[in-house]
Amino acid sequence: MINNKKYLECTQAKFIRSRLRRILFLKAALIFGLLIVVARLIQIQIIKSSDFKEFARKQYEAKIPLPANRGNIYDRNGNILASNTMFIDLAVDATAISKEDGLKLANLLSKVFNKPVQSYLKILNSEKQFEYLERTVSPEYRKYFEAEKIHGFIIINQPKRLYHYGTVGGQLLGGTNIDNLGLSGIELFANQYLRGVNGYMILQRDGYGRARASIDYPRVEPENGKNLYLTIDLAYQSIAEEELKRGLEKAKADAGILVMLKPATGEVLAIAQCPSFNPNDFSIEDISNQKIRAVTDMFEPGSVFKLVTASAALEHHLVKPEQKFNAENGRYNVNIGGRKFRLITDTKPHDFLTFQEAMEQSSNIVMAKVSDLVGVDRFYTRARDFGFGVQTMIDLPGEVKGKLKKPNEWSGTTLNTIAYGYEVGTTPIQITAAYGAVANKGILMKPYVIRKIANEHGEIIQESKPLEIRRSISEETAKKLSEFFKGVVLRGTAKTTIIDGICIAGKTGTSRLMIDGKYMQEKFLASFVGYFPAEKPQVVCLVMVDNPRVGGYTGGTAAAPIFREIVNRIRMTKSIFSNGNNGVMAANHTTNKSVVVPDVANLQLSIALKLLESQNLTADPIGTGKIVLTQEPLPGDSVMAGSKIKLIFEKKPEISEGYHLIPNVVGLPLRRAINRLTKEGFESVIYGSGTVISQSPDAGQVASQKTVVSIICSDNKLVGKMQ
Amino acid sequence: MIAKRQYNYSDLTTLFCVMILMGLSVLVVYTASSSWALQKFGKSEYLLTSHVFKVFIAIVVLFIGMNINYQNYKKFTRGVLIIAALLLLFTLVLGDEVKGAVRFLRFGSIGFQPSEFAKFALIFHLSTMLVTKKESVLDFKKGYLPMVLWVGIISGLVMIQPNFSTSSMILLISFILIFIGGIRLKHIVLTVAPLIPIVLIYMVSASYRWARVEAFVKNFSSLLTLNSNAIKESGYQLWQGIIGFGNGGILGVGLGNSKQRDLFLPESYGDFIFSIVGEEYGILGTLFFMTLFFLILWRGFKIARYAQDDYGKFLAYGITITITVYALINASVTLGLLPTTGLSMPFVSYGGSSIVFSAYAIGVLLNISKQTDLHPKLSRIPVVGTINADGRINFEEK
Repeated sequence: MINNKKYLECTQAKFIRSRLRRILFLKAALIFGLLIVVARLIQIQIIKSSDFKEFARKQYEAKIPLPANRGNIYDRNGNILASNTMFIDLAVDATAISKEDGLKLANLLSKVFNKPVQSYLKILNSEKQFEYLERTVSPEYRKYFEAEKIHGFIIINQPKRLYHYGTVGGQLLGGTNIDNLGLSGIELFANQYLRGVNGYMILQRDGYGRARASIDYPRVEPENGKNLYLTIDLAYQSIAEEELKRGLEKAKADAGILVMLKPATGEVLAIAQCPSFNPNDFSIEDISNQKIRAVTDMFEPGSVFKLVTASAALEHHLVKPEQKFNAENGRYNVNIGGRKFRLITDTKPHDFLTFQEAMEQSSNIVMAKVSDLVGVDRFYTRARDFGFGVQTMIDLPGEVKGKLKKPNEWSGTTLNTIAYGYEVGTTPIQITAAYGAVANKGILMKPYVIRKIANEHGEIIQESKPLEIRRSISEETAKKLSEFFKGVVLRGTAKTTIIDGICIAGKTGTSRLMIDGKYMQEKFLASFVGYFPAEKPQVVCLVMVDNPRVGGYTGGTAAAPIFREIVNRIRMTKSIFSNGNNGVMAANHTTNKSVVVPDVANLQLSIALKLLESQNLTADPIGTGKIVLTQEPLPGDSVMAGSKIKLIFEKKPEISEGYHLIPNVVGLPLRRAINRLTKEGFESVIYGSGTVISQSPDAGQVASQKTVVSIICSDNKLVGKMQ
Repeated sequence: MIAKRQYNYSDLTTLFCVMILMGLSVLVVYTASSSWALQKFGKSEYLLTSHVFKVFIAIVVLFIGMNINYQNYKKFTRGVLIIAALLLLFTLVLGDEVKGAVRFLRFGSIGFQPSEFAKFALIFHLSTMLVTKKESVLDFKKGYLPMVLWVGIISGLVMIQPNFSTSSMILLISFILIFIGGIRLKHIVLTVAPLIPIVLIYMVSASYRWARVEAFVKNFSSLLTLNSNAIKESGYQLWQGIIGFGNGGILGVGLGNSKQRDLFLPESYGDFIFSIVGEEYGILGTLFFMTLFFLILWRGFKIARYAQDDYGKFLAYGITITITVYALINASVTLGLLPTTGLSMPFVSYGGSSIVFSAYAIGVLLNISKQTDLHPKLSRIPVVGTINADGRINFEEK
């Protein structure tokens, strides 16, 4: 009994002790668990906190780009050459879009754009927060997607470049890529000014991908690109291109390059190139046609390089213009050491020629003889002084410096050869600038294309001033050379250029084309470079024709006629001659001519008057007012120069200062519509391209200046066929 | 010796901790639920109103529990447990189906989860059994088997709802209780061993369950190092939960500034509410919450240790373990230390039945503390003398 009780007490004690041990164990386990949780909290909330903060931020915020408007490009008279039209980009936040919505969207896109559903699903199933689905599509598409409220689907207005005149100045202006960045030409060179700074907007999102704007995240407005004002004259540029093209077609030539400068300042008035390039066609993949050959390509100039030979001889008074040379009847064997001879030929054989005649007739033989008098060093220095062998530093991309060998690299024959323009590589811009120096009384100007850069409010950021590089030759030499060049036109190789009433000075050049290191027998580069009016040169212009096949291959037959046609046409425009004091533009030239009546309806009187004046027309105002209502005769009619055009004014009450009548632009080609609105002081937002099909506000309403007029254009190419 | 001592005061530490937890839960549930309530019910206060009401009921119930002598339960626990089992059966037949599981029983507009009720009923009855059987708990047939049968019935009924997580919790807590009740380990091993294949089959039977476990096991080491892909693979909810903790950092984003609750973190007011605590109050908040649970653990064990009888002891252990283990496992789940299961954080998560029953259980715990001298050492100091009127001590010779 006692034993039993003791045993019981003993087991009871053991039992209680075991329970206590188990409780202790449990306590330890729970505290251990708690410590693990605390450790984990420290790990997540302190050590790795920043990682998760970043993840969190990413999923709370949706960054929507706000593209900056690319700056416009204007010509020297304020005509818009390049501006922007609005397209849309379709993008998606793949992390926010639901499965069903994604499928729906992919099907819709596939239907609208006629592409496989799978291509869209791939983007939609990616984990990216921002990915484009379609880019640069017509804003017309907006309606297909706006009806569907799909979270995570983004439509972005995307300004796209619009080149108002298509191929006019194509290579010069260059093109932009789909991201609106310059690829070539001025677009590339001045990209940093034109592009602006994109802004963005941060939206706050919830877990269902719904975004809302939040004051916590300020919207960063885009900084629009700067506007460029070029030295280019749209009228000259288009005339140059048309005439170059026509000339090339006539001669069945391969290609052509034209450079036109203002000699006094170095301003580039036109740089034309054939075959042409339309920067609106961004699908064009052949980039070889996009470079500006006037600066990127070098040629052996041929006879136009005789400028250097002649100017060196005259500058150092080595030869007098009337000094006679034996022109060897067209064949001149030069002893180049021992029994070796080298044959120099002339296209036209002559026996004796004065120095001036030799220039006019472009005798290689005489020039080779003159170069012997000049000598290597003087020749080289003169060539360098004219800017050959160095870049002109024109503000265009891809300029090469040409090739002018240093005197120690010259072989025994180089001096004679270079005297008539071989063994030397020059760019068209170098040649034009050098002749510009002659026209500018011997001072070489730096050629430039960008006149000024201004922001959208018109404040000037940067302005180019004419820059003298150096005096290449003395004024006296320049005068003598000018006589030579006038002679070239009047008596010499460029008689094809003679125009009544305007004195042209110039020089032809014909060089054999070198292909793969061999001179081709049948292929030539015909060029003509000249300036006019010779007394007070306003324009210096180089025309180069690559491989003319029909009607003569020389500079005089292939290139000079193009030059003449251009001169003929540009002096008809409201040209820089009118403010000069030269009387060369004789009245008898214009009075006999019929001109086309410009469209001045809806224009301000002052602008209308200017326009009429530019066409040698006068105004006959009927009534009073600021804005022309209609005109008589109607635009497009041909009338004699000097005719009076009736301008009929608004009968409606005066429009107060700063207010304008919105013109009717429906039915006009887009570029004309924009020019019209711009001239009225309205800003325009363009949708699509092509012909304007509607506008808002409507025409006839009076609105304050700076009112934005939306114009919608038919755009057959981009809208495409939609079922 | 005095058989029953009425100390007349409850353990204030525990009471405060629970009250603070419930008070904060109103705040946290509001911020965590507003967006979801707006999304689901069209009113941002919808869930808050319901929660405030339940917190109010919980406080009432807590005070009721506090004022009923726990000794009285002994006679009823068996009957109550049978009712609980019947309710579970009813639930299977008549309950509301939510997300493919039948867990709710509805009386008019009030719905409740019988499994929460059964959980506490089982703990109460197990305590009764441990006390009445005394040393015979060591006997397999007389002691162990009846207890395990009850555990099996209740957890089985919950499991086939199916509610795997609550069922496992009932098993875990019950076994902890009978483990500290002195059951032979041999017996536990004997019953648990054949259970393992059953559990495995159960887990494989539903593909989603298995996939979850599989993913968790596969990713466990990457989860420990917080590899973002591993967390994402383990589930969107967990990923968002951890972003919440991480985004909170040390100080948190501030009251009401949670962004995770803006439809990023599903159930942000329920099982993953701890993440919102972490986001809004930072590690200071989460550690504070953990400290509150630690205090409940500490005081609960103290009450159990000094409880005047074994019944109070087992009840106190059972209740304390239930609350703290739930909190611990919930925290571990939200932190990616355990596979994602549907367990709420006691007193904090939105969810009616849990908060009311837990509050009642805490009430019982407090009633036990009321009858317990938590500083028994002081009362054990032998009386050595009396103090005279002049302040001197008269030492007594014994």
